[in-house]
Amino acid sequence: MKLLVCVKQVPDSTVRVKVAGDQKAIVPEGVTWAISPYDEYAIELALEHKDANPGTTVGVITVGPPRARDALRQALAMGCDDATLVTGADVETLGGLATARALAKVVDEVTPDLVLCGKQASDDDQGFVGQALAETLGWPHVAIVTKFVASDGGTEIWKEVEGGHEVWKASGPAVLTVQKSQKDPRYPSLPGIMKAKKKEIPEKDLASLGADLGGPSVEIRAMEPPPARKAGRVMKDGDPKALAAELAKLLRDEARVL
Amino acid sequence: MTTVTGEAAFDLSLTEEQQLVQRTARGFAAERLLPRAAEFDQKGEVPTEIVRELGSLGFMGINIPDEWGGSGLDMVTYVLALEEINRACASTGVIMSSHVSLVCDPLLRFGSPEQKSRFLRPLASGEQLGCFALSEPGAGSDAAAMRSSARRDGDGWVLNGTKNFITNGARADVALVFAQTDPAQKHRGIAAFIVERGTPGFSVGKLEHKLGIRGSDTAQLIFQDCRVPDAHLLGAADEGFKIALATLDGGRISIAAQAVGIARACLEDSVGYAKEREAFGQRIGDFQAIQWMIADMATGIDAARLLTWRAAAMKDRGERYGPDAAMAKLFASDVVMKAARDCIQIFGGYGYLTDFPAERHYRDAKITEIYEGTSEIMKLVIAEDMLGE
Ligand SMILES: Cc1cc2nc3c(=O)[nH]c(=O)nc-3n(C[C@H](O)[C@H](O)[C@H](O)COP(=O)(O)OP(=O)(O)OC[C@H]3O[C@@H](n4cnc5c(N)ncnc54)[C@H](O)[C@@H]3O)c2cc1C
Repeated sequence: MKLLVCVKQVPDSTVRVKVAGDQKAIVPEGVTWAISPYDEYAIELALEHKDANPGTTVGVITVGPPRARDALRQALAMGCDDATLVTGADVETLGGLATARALAKVVDEVTPDLVLCGKQASDDDQGFVGQALAETLGWPHVAIVTKFVASDGGTEIWKEVEGGHEVWKASGPAVLTVQKSQKDPRYPSLPGIMKAKKKEIPEKDLASLGADLGGPSVEIRAMEPPPARKAGRVMKDGDPKALAAELAKLLRDEARVL
Repeated sequence: MTTVTGEAAFDLSLTEEQQLVQRTARGFAAERLLPRAAEFDQKGEVPTEIVRELGSLGFMGINIPDEWGGSGLDMVTYVLALEEINRACASTGVIMSSHVSLVCDPLLRFGSPEQKSRFLRPLASGEQLGCFALSEPGAGSDAAAMRSSARRDGDGWVLNGTKNFITNGARADVALVFAQTDPAQKHRGIAAFIVERGTPGFSVGKLEHKLGIRGSDTAQLIFQDCRVPDAHLLGAADEGFKIALATLDGGRISIAAQAVGIARACLEDSVGYAKEREAFGQRIGDFQAIQWMIADMATGIDAARLLTWRAAAMKDRGERYGPDAAMAKLFASDVVMKAARDCIQIFGGYGYLTDFPAERHYRDAKITEIYEGTSEIMKLVIAEDMLGE
């Protein structure tokens, strides 16, 4: 089976992002970048399939600036077979639809059996590109996927639902958007890093793909940091009964949660 | 530090794979070690499963070539990884560095192809754990005063004696053991032997109770008429002391990296606390007294890290690096002692409690001034380089 995983490089979850002066972007200086967490789960799902089915190949692709090469290198070190970087001018402000259309061009070329994406990227949490990619390709899409297995000519796909899962079946190629699953994404092993170092990461020029990069798009009007959280209150001195009564009163009248 | 790739004459930037290893080590440390470091310390044990995980990721043979089961990375990358691991858990750090620097490294440098294939490969791939047994009850800094003996016996050797303070001693599969073949020859009579666990006459004695790095075991090893074949002699019979000293030169870089890692833990924890704790109506980080401690900490750490990287890069380039490794260890261990003291100070009374990590950093820091050569011995090495022939 030939799998293609689409990943996005985002600020690492431990980074404290700062809003830039124009209030339209974050300050890129000092940010450490990482593969978006759900995309890491998508990679893990693909690699698990490869572990169990040695004939499988796992490709990884990103549409992003040159620094996103690091994300691809990490995916290779985790065990992916090949990686492609699609980059070009204005790639950082590319909208979701244009990104999906660019990815679709590469999918047409690579002809994978399944495309895996994270269910959303952790920077803007839009949850858009995977679905838009399926739409552009004219492929079916299954969301919130935690597992898949090949089964007589198609793929059985586990989709998380409230309190359990549904099993869907795709008879041909499909786009899966992946949910966090029980098995955490593997760390790249050090020998894996050494192997990844030797691999070429071919670069494709965004403008030369022939994708329609126009079309409807969203524009960020303003960003602002969340308001500072008020400090918590500790109640510890005094008679436990009185404290409990006081706590109940505060929860009802001040916090209004009772 | 000049780069390992050697292109630019003065460039401190890291290569892509060095950064990737650093990130991997940081991720592993943050997720697998940091949440449990206090528990490892309290229980006095880093679980074997953690050491195994480090092995399967390639950390236990990080700078050993892949033909011998290692990951084939350089010394600079190794110290980057060690800093991250020690930042989370110094016990895990010394388990790894004793194994890598004090056992895998000398096997790589001095072992025969047969010895590398039989002993180094399972060690470097992390299937087995090693320990380095030089110190004795009566011979620490003056290691050549060792009493353990190796007597020639047919086509093998018979070992007798006691080693103490041996990191990983209780669970190692393989011990690198130094013994005197001829007391009249002093240090020229010392030989190094590879001894496997289970060899008749080799047993583990008492475990030490320690101030810090409590998750790493420190054991006594006892040899009573323990027979080892000639094939287990590392290097020539008169080369043991040379092997020990050369090995410790490399080990000192790893202890410097450990000190930098613990010091970074002190700094990061201090900064976090200084931003939150309030006194007299303001954050304590707004007091200049606290700011100065943090500025000193940050400066010391950077200087110590640079010395450590330089020594590592010199080793990678095949240059003579012994005195530079000694400087790195001497300086870094001094930096971490001060950082740990100030870290507790910044935490105030809470720093003194086991509920917070500051007191663990304080206890862990001290060992870096002692093992693999005390600070006094580091000065001896440096001064000899300055004043000697
Ligand atoms: C937790 C722990 C783990 C260890 N792990 C290992 C291990 O894995 N393998 C191993 O072989 N050993 C190990 N050691 C032993 C360690 O390397 C020795 O403790 C250290 O070298 C000091 O030796 P000593 O304790 O005998 O002190 P001594 O040599 O007795 O020193 C006592 C004091 O005298 C000073 N001193 C000694 N000689 C001089 C001199 N010439 N000039 C000035 N001052 C001097 C020392 O600096 C020190 O302050 C470990 C020790 C500890 C505590």
